[in-house]
Amino acid sequence: MNRRPSWLAIREPLSPRKATALKLASFLLPLLIWSIVSYVPFIWHPMILITSAGDSDLFVKGERFTRELFASENVGLVKDGLKPGEGYRVNPVFLPAPHEVLKAFFVAFKTPPYSKGDPWLHQSLWHSIQIIMWGFFSSAILGVPMGILAGTFDAFSKLFEPFIDFIRYMPAPAFGALCVALLGIDDGPKIAIIWIGTFFQMVLVVANTTRLLDVGLLEAAQTLGASRRRLVINVILPGILPNLYNDMRILLGWAWTYLIVAELIGASSGISWFINQQGKHFHFDNVFAGIMMIGIIGLICDQFLALFSTYLFPWLPNRRGTSMMTVVAGAFLFFPQRYLWQRGRDKAAKRAERQSSGSIAAKPASVATKPFPASIHEASAGGAIADVSIT
Amino acid sequence: MSQSLELPSYLEKEPAVEDRFRRIYQRPVVLDVAGLGKTFHAANGVVEALRDIHFKVHRREFICVIGPSGCGKSTLIRILAGLDYPTSGAVKLDGHEVSGPGPDRGMVFQNYTLFPWLTVKRNVMFGPRMKGHQYRVSEAEARKWIKMVGLDRFENSYPNQLSGGMKQRVAIARTLANQPRIVLMDEPFGALDAQTRAQMQAYLQQIWLNVDVTILFITHDLDEAIYLADRIVVLDAHPGRIAEIIEVPLPQPRTPEDFISPKFLATRKRLDTLIHPPKMNDEDRLPMVKMTEPGDDVI
Ligand SMILES: Nc1ncnc2c1ncn2[C@@H]1O[C@H](COP(=O)(O)OP(=O)(O)OP(=O)(O)O)[C@@H](O)[C@H]1O
Ligand SMILES: [Mg+2]
Repeated sequence: MNRRPSWLAIREPLSPRKATALKLASFLLPLLIWSIVSYVPFIWHPMILITSAGDSDLFVKGERFTRELFASENVGLVKDGLKPGEGYRVNPVFLPAPHEVLKAFFVAFKTPPYSKGDPWLHQSLWHSIQIIMWGFFSSAILGVPMGILAGTFDAFSKLFEPFIDFIRYMPAPAFGALCVALLGIDDGPKIAIIWIGTFFQMVLVVANTTRLLDVGLLEAAQTLGASRRRLVINVILPGILPNLYNDMRILLGWAWTYLIVAELIGASSGISWFINQQGKHFHFDNVFAGIMMIGIIGLICDQFLALFSTYLFPWLPNRRGTSMMTVVAGAFLFFPQRYLWQRGRDKAAKRAERQSSGSIAAKPASVATKPFPASIHEASAGGAIADVSIT
Repeated sequence: MSQSLELPSYLEKEPAVEDRFRRIYQRPVVLDVAGLGKTFHAANGVVEALRDIHFKVHRREFICVIGPSGCGKSTLIRILAGLDYPTSGAVKLDGHEVSGPGPDRGMVFQNYTLFPWLTVKRNVMFGPRMKGHQYRVSEAEARKWIKMVGLDRFENSYPNQLSGGMKQRVAIARTLANQPRIVLMDEPFGALDAQTRAQMQAYLQQIWLNVDVTILFITHDLDEAIYLADRIVVLDAHPGRIAEIIEVPLPQPRTPEDFISPKFLATRKRLDTLIHPPKMNDEDRLPMVKMTEPGDDVI
């Protein structure tokens, strides 16, 4: 029987093709909305960008004014027989169009900092990554063993958990002033904030993961002669490892959240400093680019770890379906390549046309060329191909 | 079973079978369960799971324990394995009282409990490794047992790549690799389909015939118990206590043809009456209201 699976089948995986399409759509839809708001005139565009101030004292060329203000000022000017201001409708400065952000994405790396001695964008980013890594690893080095102890031995659970439960409700940024007083204004307090933000959660999460291990495995190991030490090393540790790894992935995400607050404590630094700095200068295209950079680094990190886990834990049942990473990689690789390839073909065809006076030689090439627009459909095929080749 | 069929008494045995039991009882006692009792103090009150359990298991004997659900079979086997403690009485293995789990009493669980992160070979090697054997020695040992259960082609597979029956064979091999004094099995085939189950019973019988093991096997399948066991310990529920210990009056090893022999049926009938109440009590009857059309009666 040939059952066509529904898009909305309860607790059933979609076909890889549909899944990839939706995963792409989850990125493309927001992009589409953003593009519509940016490019389609009169959807929103509540401001007027002044192109000529006329005789107004208020208007400044190149600045944005609300439509109401623009209209009333012009009415006044016309009534007084003066030259009205001119301009066109735009979005507020805090909503740059996609292409501006995309441009900022590349330009921002090449733009020197405002004042000499300030870090370049890539230096800021690298600084942020270092802060994250120090904060996260220092909390993992202590938090993971403590969590495993608490999850394994009730004594440690009772000793650690009540106090940790108490602290974890205190927001990490609240410790900011204290950290600066203790650790100075440089990287110390920033790492400390990330440590505070992740460590306490980590102990509890790891303890819980440890407790979720099937007791049957421990009992089986005991009847096979495992000592207490062996139980911990040969059963509990390998048994919780995949879940522990996943916990770390999620907690690393939390560390990124704390980063932004952490970097504004003391002497601000890193990517947050960059974003703040650009915001102050009204370069919102750069602000968006900065925010997205964090998102992209986070996503790539996370997806890389997810991909890596299938190699680390070969005993886990194969989770079928394309990972986000391969979809994104597929989309990035697929679009430009196809596009360039197509352009190359077109150019080659044109050249061939120009060279041969007769049009016979050029014909097959131009017949073979298809118009570019790669639909989601084609792109999903690209994703699927990338998936096969990677996994 | 039709009423007219005349069955022999399950207590009558042929001389050869009598003789076999005499020889069994002359063998040394491996497991001695004396006056075992277990009371749980749960949140919703006190449950007396076991009361005054007495029996002895002799070397190379195959003992089955059966009883209605909730009669304490699992509790009993967990106490024997040392995973739980009795509130009264004692368990002796080779004359020494047991306290806590140990490799001298192997256990096979209903849900396999294979280590999912280890391959079949590494799972079977687990016991020997825990004993401190060298890797090479353990590996050779494991290979031997994996071959014994017919899974040499799968020694590098992970448990989740195997079927239920295969997993249970790995679990049996893993237990045997430790060469325990007694193998305790708690409904090991309970989760398997009928065909796999029959196949596994045959496998287990072969293993028992060819390997120096003593087996205590829990099941709620009466046929399985009669097919495999020398003796069947029948438990009563609430509290769990011994109703009867039955010597199965059939020569070993049994074959599938034995399932319809008069002695088999007689034993089966006896187990039936011990485990199921002879007639339906009034409180067991459901409060039925006729909900069918007059022409639709099933009879
Ligand atoms: N940890 C426990 N705490 C409280 N009561 C328990 C506990 N374990 C078992 N019991 C009770 O002891 C009785 C026997 O349970 P047990 O699991 O040994 O039965 P069983 O014969 O194995 O049943 P089944 O055939 O369904 O596996 C039951 O009434 C059960 O409720
Ligand atoms: Mg049970």
